[in-house]
Amino acid sequence: MAAHVNILLVDDDPAENVILSALMRKVTSYAITLHYVETIDGALDFIRSSGIALDMILMDNRLQPQADFRETVPELRRAGYIGPVGVISSSISDAYFQKIDDYGVDFRIDKAELDPTAIEFLLREYVRREASAG
Amino acid sequence: MIALNEHFRRYDFESDLEKALNRVDFFRIFHTMALRYGFEHFGVLQLTNEHETSLLAQRLTLHDLPAGLAEAYDKRHRFNDSDLFKSFYVSTISTVWRDGDRAADQGSPHESFLDQIGFDMALSVPVHSVAGTRFVILFLGDGDDIGRTEHFEICYEAACAFDYFHRQVLANKAGMGLTPRETEILRWISYGKTASEIALIVSVSEHTVNSHTATILKKLDVVNRTQMVAKAIREQIIQ
Repeated sequence: MAAHVNILLVDDDPAENVILSALMRKVTSYAITLHYVETIDGALDFIRSSGIALDMILMDNRLQPQADFRETVPELRRAGYIGPVGVISSSISDAYFQKIDDYGVDFRIDKAELDPTAIEFLLREYVRREASAG
Repeated sequence: MIALNEHFRRYDFESDLEKALNRVDFFRIFHTMALRYGFEHFGVLQLTNEHETSLLAQRLTLHDLPAGLAEAYDKRHRFNDSDLFKSFYVSTISTVWRDGDRAADQGSPHESFLDQIGFDMALSVPVHSVAGTRFVILFLGDGDDIGRTEHFEICYEAACAFDYFHRQVLANKAGMGLTPRETEILRWISYGKTASEIALIVSVSEHTVNSHTATILKKLDVVNRTQMVAKAIREQIIQ
């Protein structure tokens, strides 16, 4: 049995949920359940009331009406979430991405770099529940 | 990150490397490097004494191999006996290993790493840190042969990326000053708070707290949290 992990995707574009779900299905060493909400309020509700222990949150960098992760991720932390948070963005070269640690972000990754290998690496690095393979 | 001397000639790799902060960033850099040159995977291996038993899984400090592959390898093979491992102690020249090239090499007494691990091609780039510790950047794949120019380029890029990776992530930072965030976490540790409590107080993940704690241990050159706090008080980092 592969280890089971719960990941929450926060992205205002539902297409990203479809794409990421397909990617997650290609990860063989973990059984991933991808939960999806469109807004930061949705994410806060999920954290407070879903009863599901999240192993990781993946956030789109820009979510309306907030500007970017500097406004959104601290809200997740204020809600008491202390698991890993990754910010997904098509462009991670802006200077403020150097400050992720100050805003409670664990890692940043470009949309184009998210493949099954990268997802597996992130889970190994941050979730560490032993994958059963091998 | 300590800036390198601008007067030396270096080639267009600075932007990504200068901005890399953590293991995920270096994973991204090595992973995309492997894909760009037609490989599927990379691994950063730390080398020690040739005669010390080396498990592949324990030698890999950063890699993107499928989960469990290195462990499965170690159950079936002895990495020390492989041709690849032996070669690291004969020469430091970067080498390409191809499945098809082996016919000419049948006299080799060592076992073929490619056969054992199940890839058609490997490229090794031996590197070392400024302190002299040895590492090898290994690229693995099933693609076409790599050309001379691309081989030279990947060697240069891998050496540069490793240099940044070592200084930013692997180096022993004993004696270096603590950052304000590290000092803040150290203070909460001295108040007896656990990692998860500190994560809540400081608004970061528990993983980040543990990672900062590991860095503080290195910087203060201590072995546990008790010694860390005792030394921090002795050195008047905290009151």
